[in-house]
Amino acid sequence: MIGKILIYSAFIASIISIFSFFKVHFGYNKYLRAGRTFFLITVTCIIFASALLMYLILTHQYQYAYIWEHSNGELQLPLLISTFYAGQEGSFMLWTFMTAVIGIILLNYVSKGNRLEPQVMFMYGLVLAFLAFILILKSPFLYIWDKWPGEVDIGFMPEQGKGLNPLLQNFWMSIHPPTLFLGFASLAVPFSFAIATLMKNKYNEWINYSMPWLLFSGGILGLGIMMGGYWAYGVLGWGGYWAWDPVENSSFIPWLITVAAVHTMVAQKRTGGFKKTNLILCILAFLLVLYSTFLTRSGILGDSSVHSFVDPGFEVYITLLVFIGLFLIISVVAIIYRLKELKSLSLNQNKLLTRESALFVGAITLCAAATVIFAGTSWPIFSKGSVDGAFYNKMNLPLAIMIALINGISLLLKWKTSDDKNFFKGLIFPLSLSVVITVVLVFIGVQDFLIALFACSALFAFFINAQIIARIFKKNWSLAGAYIAHIGIALVFLGIIASARYSEEENISLELNKPKEAFGYTLTYIGASPFEDPDNKTDVKYHFNVLVEKDGKEMVLKPIMYFSQFSDGVMKNPDIANFYTKDLYLSPMGLEVPEQFSQEELHDIKKGGELKMGDLTINFIDFDFGNTQKGGKEMQEGNFTVGAMMKVSDSKYTENLSPKIVYKEGNPEYEPAIITGNDNYIFYFTKMNVPQGEEEASATIAVVDKRNVNNENQTADETLVVTASIKPFINVLWIGTVVLVLGFMVSIIRRRKELYSK
Amino acid sequence: MNKQSRIIIGLIIIVAFLIVGFISFIDSKIEYVNFTEAQNRTRTVEVKGSWIKDKESKFDAATNQFTFFMKDDYNTEMKVVFDGAKPNNFEVAEAVVVKGKVKDGYFHAKDILTKCPSKYEADGSEIKTYNHSK
Repeated sequence: MIGKILIYSAFIASIISIFSFFKVHFGYNKYLRAGRTFFLITVTCIIFASALLMYLILTHQYQYAYIWEHSNGELQLPLLISTFYAGQEGSFMLWTFMTAVIGIILLNYVSKGNRLEPQVMFMYGLVLAFLAFILILKSPFLYIWDKWPGEVDIGFMPEQGKGLNPLLQNFWMSIHPPTLFLGFASLAVPFSFAIATLMKNKYNEWINYSMPWLLFSGGILGLGIMMGGYWAYGVLGWGGYWAWDPVENSSFIPWLITVAAVHTMVAQKRTGGFKKTNLILCILAFLLVLYSTFLTRSGILGDSSVHSFVDPGFEVYITLLVFIGLFLIISVVAIIYRLKELKSLSLNQNKLLTRESALFVGAITLCAAATVIFAGTSWPIFSKGSVDGAFYNKMNLPLAIMIALINGISLLLKWKTSDDKNFFKGLIFPLSLSVVITVVLVFIGVQDFLIALFACSALFAFFINAQIIARIFKKNWSLAGAYIAHIGIALVFLGIIASARYSEEENISLELNKPKEAFGYTLTYIGASPFEDPDNKTDVKYHFNVLVEKDGKEMVLKPIMYFSQFSDGVMKNPDIANFYTKDLYLSPMGLEVPEQFSQEELHDIKKGGELKMGDLTINFIDFDFGNTQKGGKEMQEGNFTVGAMMKVSDSKYTENLSPKIVYKEGNPEYEPAIITGNDNYIFYFTKMNVPQGEEEASATIAVVDKRNVNNENQTADETLVVTASIKPFINVLWIGTVVLVLGFMVSIIRRRKELYSK
Repeated sequence: MNKQSRIIIGLIIIVAFLIVGFISFIDSKIEYVNFTEAQNRTRTVEVKGSWIKDKESKFDAATNQFTFFMKDDYNTEMKVVFDGAKPNNFEVAEAVVVKGKVKDGYFHAKDILTKCPSKYEADGSEIKTYNHSK
């Protein structure tokens, strides 16, 4: 109830705030106070609503449908917190929350020094209003009896929730989605600045204000995307970090546009050009966030994406469409309205060999990559089908080569003036060094021309940036941000080439305690061991321990497989041995447990039926349930014993036997029986077949003739099947991603300093 | 370089890129079809359907292939051989999408996508069982 009131209040307050700021834009300054106050009320309501949802989750209030669906009492605190955004409603709540928190900082930021406050806050408020509206439609505060009327009594509170999808039960679930949503939410800021500046009809100042924000979005969104990649690699177990899945793509596209915008903004700051480009890119980045949300939330990609949510219902679908449509229309109308002024801003053409030209070509290349991915990802909307991942690889490879080359070249160029001689001079050292290394790589085995070219251009970018960083780092480290980010990208590229293109993979069957060689390592499966997962006490999880040996050193890798009751299936997690120059990646595929009895030993005997075997005659009389009640509590819990009452005769004796199955938590153990004076045969009762309807009940009896025991068969041990792979230099990729994000952070510090030094 | 020649060079690059893009796009497009249509295709296709649980399914460790039977939305059945182990969540997937080609009378899948109910919202009947059993 309170949750709903908070969200409705947030929505209403945001509408008032938007109108007030709009009035201020037209010169009615007396509305400024109201605008700010109601914006703060909006934000406060959203923050309180989020805090309330968190409180309800932490106190296990399962009368709320959202909490019942996504949470349960077994989850430890970090994962319990993360159930906040495990589903549609909650992740919209998280997005809105992030937008609200950023809103406070933004309001404080723009209210100082006349930074387009009414215009920015009008636009940003509109974003927040839409998010609040979605929360009204898709409320996380719905009671179970409201969601499923008639199914449960009003006021009913389930004792336990359904729980969290086991695929989400890991560390990355705690930090990846909030990071991504922080990135998404923050992109509303440059967007608001862009629209604001169009409203205000002034095109220079705004980039100073929005640049730190744009860098923040680029850094955070980039970090989120990379975490997603690491999550896929470390937990999902298919051996890779990027699959061009629509959901992955949909956050990657706005990121590429953001990065492009960062570059043209730097160019505008230095040369005054690219004013239109910057407006369009900042608008596009945010619209693409909305588009990506639509793609992943509308259920439209349901068939082509594994992570995609299901259809959220007609209202949300339409709201999202209106959301994108309205913001698109606002942007287009604003640009058309100001077209005359924008056209007059065009500068005289500058020379080709200048840094701004290079930055522009770089931005175009980034946009081209975004377009390729956009086209592939959107394809399922227009046609029944999808696009193969190979498409993205093929199309992006030449673009990535371009990006790496421009990354290096641009830094040798000067702003505005073209100094060809110095440029070519600067080229010699890094280029020759990269060519030499590439030649060595080609000899080692990099045979593909384009890949060799890619490696060469990435190395080139690496050396140029390394050179510059070495020069400027001591003088003023805060100026090194761009170069740090660029060296990060070069490392990412090199890491991708090595780990993706030159990874080796092999399926290996590891028999218990029998060593096998793979990739120069000796792998031995040394048995499974159960372990307790504090987040999941329902399932018994197993480590499948594999001893890895090389050159006298040894370590144990512990990939995981277990039967998950939540998913009603086997869940698998890989384990990774991280070495300096490579990863050994072990992904469990399955476990082969030899059958205890061979087919010839097993016999199905109907109740009252008889079986003749050599000199043996076996009659199956009935099941013996002992004290257990059929279908009773013990049977349901899986702790009970059933016997098979049999009469067995050989040439000398006739005897009544009762071999038993002892169930412990649903797992059977067989208690054998033998006939007195004839220990050649061992009798097991292995299965109780109690069919419904006409069919007769029967028992499956195993008769093991000790004289025939095939020793080989009996000693065959369990076998672990794993996919082992070697990922060369994958550390270079991870280091690159961290360096890249670090570069963004250093740049933010620099741009903030610039802003405040004025 | 004057403005005009720069625009021309730019256009040539863009057109060339579009052509390459278009060709490679057509090349890597994967269509959704049913099993009957899939038999007439030589290219990789996708088929959506459901796992027939009462027919034999097994994982062969030696070849690392998982075999199962699937029926498409038109109730056409086909044996599917997948290069890999049974995917996570396969048992509960309410629909599976297989990507591959028909070969020797069975569907040779390179990829399986499972659509899991966990991504779907719970329905009323489920809360009802919680209501009555606990």
